[in-house]
Amino acid sequence: MMRVFFLITVMISLSACYEDAEITLHQAGVYKGKLDTHSQTAEQREAILAKRFGQVQTDR
Amino acid sequence: MAKMKFLCDEERCIECNACVTACKNEHEVPWGVNRRRVVTLDDGVPGEKSISVACMHCTDAPCQAVCPVDCFYTTDDGVVLHDKDMCIGCGYCFYACPFGAPQYPQEGAFGSRGKMDKCTFCAGGPEEDHSHEELEKYGRNRLAEGKLPLCAEMCSTKSLLAGDGDVVSELFRNRVVRRQGRQEAWGWDTAYNVK
Amino acid sequence: MKLTKRNSALNTTKSGVDRRAFLKGSGIAASGAAFMSLLPPTMLQKAQASESGRHSYDEGDIKKVRSVCSHCSVGCGVVAEVQNGVWIGQEPSFEHPFNLGSHCAKGASLREHGHGDKRLKYPMKKVAGKWQRVSWEQAIEEIGDKMLSIREQSGPDSVYWLGSAKHNNEQAYLFRKFAALWGTNNVDHQARICHSTTVAGVANTWGYGAMTNSYNDIHNSKAVFIIGANPAEAHPVSLQHIFRAKEKGAPIIVVDPRFTRTAAHADQHISIRPGTDVAFVWGMLWHIFKNGWEDQEFINQRVYGIDDIRKEVAKWTPDEVERVSGANEAEVLKAAQTMAEHRPGTFIWCMGGTQHTTGNNNTRAYCIFQLVLGNMGVSGGGTNIFRGHDNVQGATDLGVLSHTLPGYYGLSTGAWKHWSKVWDLDYEWVKNRFDQSAYEESGGKPASPMNTKGIPVSRWIDGVLEDKDNIAQNDNVRAMVLWGHAPNSQTRGPEMKTAMEKLDLMVVVDPYPSISAVLSDRQDGLYLLPASTQFETYGSLSSSNRSMQWRDKIIDPLFESKPDHVIMHKFATKLGFADQLFKHIKVNGEEPLIEDITREFNKGMWTVGYTGQTPERLKLQAANLHTFNKTTLKAEGGPCDGEYYGLPWPCWGTAEMKHPGTPLLYDTSKSIAEGGLTFRARFGVEHDGENLLAEGSFSVGSEIEDGYPEFTGDMLKKLGWWDDLTADEKTAAEGKNWKTDLSGGIQRVAIKHGCAPFGNAKARAVVWQFPDPVPIHREALYTNRRDLVEKYPTYEDRRSFYRLPTRYGSIQAQDFSKDYPLIMTSGRLVEYEGGGEETRSNPWLAELQQDMFVEINPADANDAGVKHGEQVWVDGPEGGEIKVMAFVTPRVGRGVVFMPFHFGGHYQGKDLTDKYPDGTVPYVLGESCNTVFTYGYDSVTQMQETKVSLCRIRAV
Repeated sequence: MMRVFFLITVMISLSACYEDAEITLHQAGVYKGKLDTHSQTAEQREAILAKRFGQVQTDR
Repeated sequence: MAKMKFLCDEERCIECNACVTACKNEHEVPWGVNRRRVVTLDDGVPGEKSISVACMHCTDAPCQAVCPVDCFYTTDDGVVLHDKDMCIGCGYCFYACPFGAPQYPQEGAFGSRGKMDKCTFCAGGPEEDHSHEELEKYGRNRLAEGKLPLCAEMCSTKSLLAGDGDVVSELFRNRVVRRQGRQEAWGWDTAYNVK
Repeated sequence: MKLTKRNSALNTTKSGVDRRAFLKGSGIAASGAAFMSLLPPTMLQKAQASESGRHSYDEGDIKKVRSVCSHCSVGCGVVAEVQNGVWIGQEPSFEHPFNLGSHCAKGASLREHGHGDKRLKYPMKKVAGKWQRVSWEQAIEEIGDKMLSIREQSGPDSVYWLGSAKHNNEQAYLFRKFAALWGTNNVDHQARICHSTTVAGVANTWGYGAMTNSYNDIHNSKAVFIIGANPAEAHPVSLQHIFRAKEKGAPIIVVDPRFTRTAAHADQHISIRPGTDVAFVWGMLWHIFKNGWEDQEFINQRVYGIDDIRKEVAKWTPDEVERVSGANEAEVLKAAQTMAEHRPGTFIWCMGGTQHTTGNNNTRAYCIFQLVLGNMGVSGGGTNIFRGHDNVQGATDLGVLSHTLPGYYGLSTGAWKHWSKVWDLDYEWVKNRFDQSAYEESGGKPASPMNTKGIPVSRWIDGVLEDKDNIAQNDNVRAMVLWGHAPNSQTRGPEMKTAMEKLDLMVVVDPYPSISAVLSDRQDGLYLLPASTQFETYGSLSSSNRSMQWRDKIIDPLFESKPDHVIMHKFATKLGFADQLFKHIKVNGEEPLIEDITREFNKGMWTVGYTGQTPERLKLQAANLHTFNKTTLKAEGGPCDGEYYGLPWPCWGTAEMKHPGTPLLYDTSKSIAEGGLTFRARFGVEHDGENLLAEGSFSVGSEIEDGYPEFTGDMLKKLGWWDDLTADEKTAAEGKNWKTDLSGGIQRVAIKHGCAPFGNAKARAVVWQFPDPVPIHREALYTNRRDLVEKYPTYEDRRSFYRLPTRYGSIQAQDFSKDYPLIMTSGRLVEYEGGGEETRSNPWLAELQQDMFVEINPADANDAGVKHGEQVWVDGPEGGEIKVMAFVTPRVGRGVVFMPFHFGGHYQGKDLTDKYPDGTVPYVLGESCNTVFTYGYDSVTQMQETKVSLCRIRAV
């Protein structure tokens, strides 16, 4: 009885040894963070922002 | 392709701190973290000049070069951003940056220095655009909404300009020509004998 | 190196799931885990990058609301984005003609009003030294009972109703009417301590005392002269317009004892001794007259009395100017020559010129300078007086002042009868609301308190402390209502504390507790009532250039706060005159209808032309901002075609007449119907045998090609224009003049014939009703130039002035210069506004200025043995002392020290944090500089002398 109890205790404590298997290996100079996505292309954004700039700077 | 840049026309900067406050407003930046600051040279004497400084989004960014975990990246628009999840808060980017752009919130996972925070050119960060994670970690993403950084949009005298480098320099060139030799820039009066 | 995925939580501030939690969804204040649990996963939407819309992080439409910043008088447009009743974003208002999207630090921080962390949240009452929360009903009930009992014992004049420049126009008008129906003239607001000397001096020179051109009009200035003003910090967005002039070649001249941030952008900075403005301006005129640079034709046609000015100016030789003001001949000549050679030039001043015992002399000297150069009534010229608070212009025009009713009608019987008629109340009933005895004489006859000037805000403490037999009213002021007015902007702090403690009752109505809540040691009889900000209500306001703008409501009142007009309704109901106050104003539940109030003052404000700006016209303009030209402010096409933005007053006649507003005052190059104007014929047709009417100068399209007096019904008859009036107009206009004809017919017909309803006269350089008809220099009360006191003494003490004894000479006679050798002056910072409670409670602003300080020149610092950053004591000659940080800088000249006035919450070295109600302590506290500022009041308006006094600095 004590042995079963002891076995279960050991198994439960060992379960804390679980490690997340997902590891990212660092490579010098390489960005490995999350990807930054955009719904528009850079060209589209360029045009929209140039127009916005004209709205902001009304240096007459 | 656009390359986003800031330009502060120090002839017009009156140190009103609108840019500093607009940034705080838009991104709810906490006390102690200053993504943008106004620096005043020769305070109180003739020749006093103020200039608004934040991250310059360098093409060859020193912060990016020295980061031990390489958490920085540059977007297609030339905006330098970083992934806060990867940041270990070592502070080395702060050593490297010539402008003092990296800031560290007063509380955080590392006691007195938390994850690095800096001006994002109002372009959010490497979370999905307009997600709550992006909002919490990096602030609003105005570029994805088709808007420019709020600091420049709210500058009281239109001295802080933000946008594509070509567009900004075009406007600034027009301004300089219009001013016709009334520049107080260094050396102007030597070159043009204007008092 | 092994990397594990980090927790996405960033604990930057305390998390808390409360009312603000919804707002936290739009900000980044909560920790990730706590926040994420609030929203189901479906809330996380994918980007739909829209060009101009803010992305929505939560469900709910985003509404864009247009409003106007509530900080300063530039009146920058604001676009607020509201979702589910929460203010989630602030966008620039690019189309707004005044700011083109720009803001200063304060304007950029407006959204924090929607957070309101440090706001007064519910009514509070101090009981046995502790703050207790009470309900509105209980508070109004108790306050009302106490006031009614004071009224019975001492009369209505014992309750002082101190109003605010932060009211919108409707609330300001209602407040003045409220005080009138309560039965007292003890009502005032910040204008008294800001530009009262401007209004008095300028109005008595040419008719109206307001900014003559506009901020935008400065684009056309060929020179910009700034004296006693620091717009780079006080009106930052105005620099946008000044720079346009500068970048076209206009020289900027700044005259200021300090090298201010504005001076840093100027071509010439001249430092003068505080209080020597008249000496300096006369010094410039000395050169102008000597070189014949004056515009003689303009003077001949439109100015009276220049010869008397010439006589006075002849005394101000360069040596005397230098002896008195410190400005040498070369710099004075250069300034004068610059202004003479670059016309039209504009002339700007603020508190540096107004806050003196000779403030009215200063303001008139400035006007005379512009008249001599012929810079009035032209685009690019004018006297561009930058007002202070967002609606101080409106509150001034609507008469929240102790010496007039709305519209500057004054307090004569005629004025009361006019307004009684507009209010549709029986004049006798209104008269009986007042104390019926007389305590002073006017024109040899006893004058009732209804017709005598009330106590001004600068002297309210004397109303409490002075021996009641010396006050021209029945009893002392026993109850004080500080409604939207900070106390730390008035001088003599220690006496104010005593006055507050002596009062029977003190009521503070404000979004924030303000220093009033903590300055005194009162243990009870102190109530705090939470007012809403201007973003929680709607209405019109008048910006400095006389434009009226309309604000829309952004959010509902936060916590238990209520808008001012709702609170007034509550008081009026309790005090028993709500029916009269709201006779023609609809009340929905407990809220009076704002538009009805606008319409009511439209019916009565004929003097300044607040009659054509109806809510409909203003709202239409607010919806079409993009159609207004950014320099002329005229709408080019669109629904408002031809109108000027804000229908700047005077907007003559009724709305049907569709007058476009008057963008530039006194401009005769346009017809009156198109916004032109003449100088007002306010002072009679002749004086001492000389013609006061204009000679040979008249507006384009004027049928009378010469000067003419103000229009009356009889005058119309004489001119043969009477029959141009309709039958209804004839009934109303019979025996009336342009100010009292409620149909507006006289104005309409006069304008139809190209004439200004108020006449066409000369501006007068000599104001014979003032103590100094020709402006002269007088030394300040607390001066360290004892050698000049004999030649330039101050006035004699007065027995009764605005009901109170007022001292001048008896103070100047004492020599404080040995013990208090430094000249003390005060001013503004860009991050804060006014008394500072509102802005110091905003974390984004407070972070930028965390310490109260005194600017000391390095030489004076060394003399006093203090170092930069150390705490020092600043002692004033009346016994006040404050402990502040020393800021050693060459910005301020030797012998002068400067302090900002926005701080409060420390008192003579003691921190008052514990006295604030819970949760309302501002982020930054500091000493109030007015604890050490001293006695000294203008000889015409009782403006306080906060720009020049004496002090000493000693190390802690």
